[in-house]
Amino acid sequence: MVDSSYTRSPWARTRAIWGARKIFFLLVRRDLKVRYADSVLGYVWTVLDPLLMSLVYWAVFSMLFMRDGVPGDDPYIVFLLAGMLPWQWFNSTVSQGAKALRSSSRLIRSTNLPREIWVLRVVASNAAEYVFALPVLAGFLIAFQVPIHWNMLVTLPLAFLLMCVLLSGIGLALSVLTVLVPDLNRIVAIFLRLFFYASPVLYSTTRLPEEIRWVYVANPVSDLLQLFRAGIFPHYLNWLHVGYAAAVSVLVLALGWWVFARLERTVLKEL
Amino acid sequence: MAEPIISVQDVSVRFHRSRRHRSIRDLVFRGEGGVRAGEFWGLRHVSFDVQPGEAIGVVGRNGQGKSTLLKTIAGVLIPDEGRAVINGGVAPLIEITGGFVGDLTVRDNIYLAAGLHGMKKKQIKASFDDIVEFAEIEKFVDTPYKHLSSGMKVRVAFSVVSRLDEPIMLVDEVLAVGDRAFREKCFERIDEMLADGRTLFMVSHSEANLTRFCSRGLYLREGKLIKDGPIDKVVEDYFSDSGNEAALRRRHERRMRRMRNLGLLNDGDRDEDDDDDDGQTEGRRVG
Repeated sequence: MVDSSYTRSPWARTRAIWGARKIFFLLVRRDLKVRYADSVLGYVWTVLDPLLMSLVYWAVFSMLFMRDGVPGDDPYIVFLLAGMLPWQWFNSTVSQGAKALRSSSRLIRSTNLPREIWVLRVVASNAAEYVFALPVLAGFLIAFQVPIHWNMLVTLPLAFLLMCVLLSGIGLALSVLTVLVPDLNRIVAIFLRLFFYASPVLYSTTRLPEEIRWVYVANPVSDLLQLFRAGIFPHYLNWLHVGYAAAVSVLVLALGWWVFARLERTVLKEL
Repeated sequence: MAEPIISVQDVSVRFHRSRRHRSIRDLVFRGEGGVRAGEFWGLRHVSFDVQPGEAIGVVGRNGQGKSTLLKTIAGVLIPDEGRAVINGGVAPLIEITGGFVGDLTVRDNIYLAAGLHGMKKKQIKASFDDIVEFAEIEKFVDTPYKHLSSGMKVRVAFSVVSRLDEPIMLVDEVLAVGDRAFREKCFERIDEMLADGRTLFMVSHSEANLTRFCSRGLYLREGKLIKDGPIDKVVEDYFSDSGNEAALRRRHERRMRRMRNLGLLNDGDRDEDDDDDDGQTEGRRVG
């Protein structure tokens, strides 16, 4: 039964999403299929993009600015990749998530699936790409004979989960807001570029002056990046920061979902 | 009486006339109020029940709320007031090509689109040949969807959506596309589905289609449901309301039909009777 009245409780929404899970996976599979259907290199692109980016930064910092040493841990290329892969995931999900409703407007207008799905699928298909890219990191770990810490069994899945939660929240809020305020797309693009440098992707926070470190602790993405790296560089693990990032992620999800629910009806008329 | 399959209760939908929006802060924090400046009601206090198996035709001029009503029933629009309760799945023949991706082959697309509308993989596999045969697309099964002609695209889409095993079907002018032979096939398919006891909800400007399929009519004007009754009564009202032009057109249609029956016209002119109405000369649109 479909009751298209406005007041749907979070519980009813969750149930509706759960009911559509098969279609959700179908959509994610389709996203991946479409992404690989038309290009010759297919899967290679998933790997090549973060790899090339990392190589460029590695070259810049370890060859051009050799004097001060690399700004991260050793081996620097491993440090870079371990941060670059989750960052790429974050970056592409936020920019695609912001457009999620607009870009699938034709589907939204022809099916009555719970609308959250169009955002969640972006999170999921990008998460899948992240996982697909992991073998590259593993390759470098083997090549440089970097030992991994046992905590990776906990930290990596946890970081993965928290990232999904945080991204779902951001995506849900942005997806509806950008439909009503198209300028937001530009703002998101600029913000992401700035955020890249404000997050410890290229450099480690350990060398930063004490006074500004709290900025990085306060930034949940930064905490998550540290958590992603904790399995390789265990000294980044700080459970207090993880707890904080988890709380913020859940809060962002709740808030994002609430905004989504409030604006859904207005947005549907705009699509 | 049995429980209604569609129950529309006092539904109202508000639209903006201008591009400018109320501020987002307003939308999020203040609830909903009445109509503000620059807004109008696309649907206003519309209520009706539909019993399983009924075939309903919706008439009204452009911009009077027909598509809004269909979208509300399809669940792709949420009413601002009131509610629409739908007791069963809907096969929406609106925007049917929406679920298709240009880069994938027809085969992949059929699986995806049917899956998207809730069909199980086994069901799709079982009816795959039927779908392909109905769309007359056998030779192009492994062609990327984007390389099909626009008529073929619609054929595939209609073929998939009409294969859905849902008790309610919504039809919104999709039949205006496609060649004559295929349209005839679509009509037969709709007839079959009606004979199955499914519920039909159809928007059309063509008297021929409305009277062929529907038994009950809803007449919308300025978002209000002003008539709900037997289809021929409602169509009659609609055409006499919509002024000289439509009345003339109708008289012309009737005359053509009479002449054809008398064998005065050759086959080539036959196309005129049911598709020309769809375009509508009256381009006025509110909003």
